Amino acid sequence: MAKKTFKGRPVLSGKLEGKALVSKQPFNLTGSYLKNMFAGETATAPCTDSTNKELHEKDLKGAIICTPQTVGSTMGAGTVMMCSELGVQPQAWLFSSHIDSISSGGLIMDDVWNGKRVVTIDLLGDEFLEAVKTGDPIAIHEDGTVEVG
Amino acid sequence: MKRREFCKGVALVPASGALLSSFPRLADAATPDAATAGKAAATGSSQAGKVAGSKTLPGYAENFLTSDMDGLGPDGKPTGIKATFTGASQANATAEKAMAHKMKLTREEQAILDGKEGEEKAKLMKILVQFGNTFGADELVDLGGAPHSNMFIGAPYMASMIRMLDECAKAGLKSYAPYTVNPRPYDVYKVQNNAKDMEMIYEGYSSQWDLDYVHARLGAPDLNYRTCACYLEEVGNAPEPGTYVAWAESSAVNYGNSALGIRTNRNGAGMDLLQAMLGKAPKFGLMTDEGRKAKWLIEVKTSKEPDWGAIGTAIGRKCVEDIPYITGLEKYFEGGKVTADNLHLLKAMGSATASSGAVGLYHVEGVTPDAREKGRDLLVNDYQTYVIDDKEQARIISTFENLWPDKDADPTAAFIGCPHNSYHEVIKWGKLVTEALDKAGKEEAAIPVYMFMPNPVRDRAIEEHGELISRMKQAGMHATNMCGVSYAGMKGFSERVRGVTNSAKTRNYSTLRYFPDEILVQTIVTGKIPRGA
Repeated sequence: MAKKTFKGRPVLSGKLEGKALVSKQPFNLTGSYLKNMFAGETATAPCTDSTNKELHEKDLKGAIICTPQTVGSTMGAGTVMMCSELGVQPQAWLFSSHIDSISSGGLIMDDVWNGKRVVTIDLLGDEFLEAVKTGDPIAIHEDGTVEVG
Repeated sequence: MKRREFCKGVALVPASGALLSSFPRLADAATPDAATAGKAAATGSSQAGKVAGSKTLPGYAENFLTSDMDGLGPDGKPTGIKATFTGASQANATAEKAMAHKMKLTREEQAILDGKEGEEKAKLMKILVQFGNTFGADELVDLGGAPHSNMFIGAPYMASMIRMLDECAKAGLKSYAPYTVNPRPYDVYKVQNNAKDMEMIYEGYSSQWDLDYVHARLGAPDLNYRTCACYLEEVGNAPEPGTYVAWAESSAVNYGNSALGIRTNRNGAGMDLLQAMLGKAPKFGLMTDEGRKAKWLIEVKTSKEPDWGAIGTAIGRKCVEDIPYITGLEKYFEGGKVTADNLHLLKAMGSATASSGAVGLYHVEGVTPDAREKGRDLLVNDYQTYVIDDKEQARIISTFENLWPDKDADPTAAFIGCPHNSYHEVIKWGKLVTEALDKAGKEEAAIPVYMFMPNPVRDRAIEEHGELISRMKQAGMHATNMCGVSYAGMKGFSERVRGVTNSAKTRNYSTLRYFPDEILVQTIVTGKIPRGA
């Protein structure tokens, strides 16, 4: 596929490459990590959100998650910090919309306080989410540029 | 601490909503050290598309997806929401503009950031500046009044955040003023006082002691002051209009911004206390004049007094996190004044807007402070209009479907007071139920009635209406200062309890059925839901 480039805002900058895992519906932060939160799962991060047909039961660990934004319980910041404590956090969050307070609080606190960074880019635009598909190669640059394909 | 003393001791002068269906055993899970965890993440390759997870999810986590905002409509399809949940819509933001934004710091703030007041405070400042820049704040503002925190879940999955706060406490950091905290998620004295529930509570909330210890050191008073309705006069955390604060808890933020006229964004767990320790907050969204303007004109045109929870739900669903300017309600507030005897109307409506949507501020024409001062100048030029008449109210109520597993069975408990009951509500409900029982020739209600309230409200009721309170107790009305929604989220709750409630907020988060007061009273007396209700 032809390479497409999108420019977002690096909320937590970084440079990495990987493959996209796409959820076109908002990502329910707390609802997606129930097995890690409650079942002692640490080897993988199986998505437990049964309402999310694109991600349900897929492994979120080390993924580059592409989604509009996160939603769910306001305790979600605690979930973000728990994921990195267990080592099951994604490699990166790529948001098409403006980042929300549920994920941003936890991601920034975890980065600054615990030195655990998950690269986070927001405001990539609706076109980004229309273009990207699960499994697409992704390259993320420090300045918030994201290449798909 | 005596009644109303809480705020007098304050030096200076804000849905989900908690989600609480949980009894995690994360403590049993392997907890790799930070270095290992970091390495695992850094080297982790994308698992895109791969099915994972060999462990079995315990049944007690089954309701966890019922959340403040899941981004899905009644049809199960994405609604396309673009909400930041701060109360400040950023739907039109662009990357270029957002990247250019940098907050200005004072010399004192820069010194803190540079570590002049210690490593921990420097880290907190760095978090706050980054958070503020993310949401377009221009500056940090000094906080007044007193904070309110929603950090009330002592579950192991919150351990990392609790540890961060513990490290702050160990470094001697403290909130700039004594602060209030949401109610505990359980009550083993009066509600969950049975072996099965207690076992789950002590397993599930095994970090509760750690969390309470953090609060004690950071400046929260004793547990009698735990409540989501911190603004009630018996608790006393009701800052003056215009005061900048950093509150969390969707219903408290919503009431504070609207009925008190304070200025706070909707803070998530942890961010509230972090701002309290610095005594500063990034100024954006609901803390600014521009951010408090209304995008919706809501015209309430019901022929009788509206169902406050139903119209709140309607407004929340329509506005999501935009601000409504509501007309047609002034007549229910004598002289346009919000008083101890009528604040429950706004509490019921507002908490519903915050739980069915993410509304952090509403204006009621002729009633709330901003609206009294500025009137319809609060409306943006291109505002939209939404009319709630009898038909629309009935339509909203009809969407509250019966979620009980056994839909035709009789109720087993009533839940009154979410957010926590005011003194006026406690006395009102006491009279309503006991007088109806007397009329029916009954000593006791057919089902237990849990009355959620802060302890100072309970104490005042005992002092001033001892005989009524005694009669309520005989009738099976239990006063508790726990969080009612937490109880509704317990393992197997919906299989064991068929609850009824007067709270649209509780209905939005649980399987409880929502009814008007007169229907609830009949249900409590007879143990049956009246036909046609």
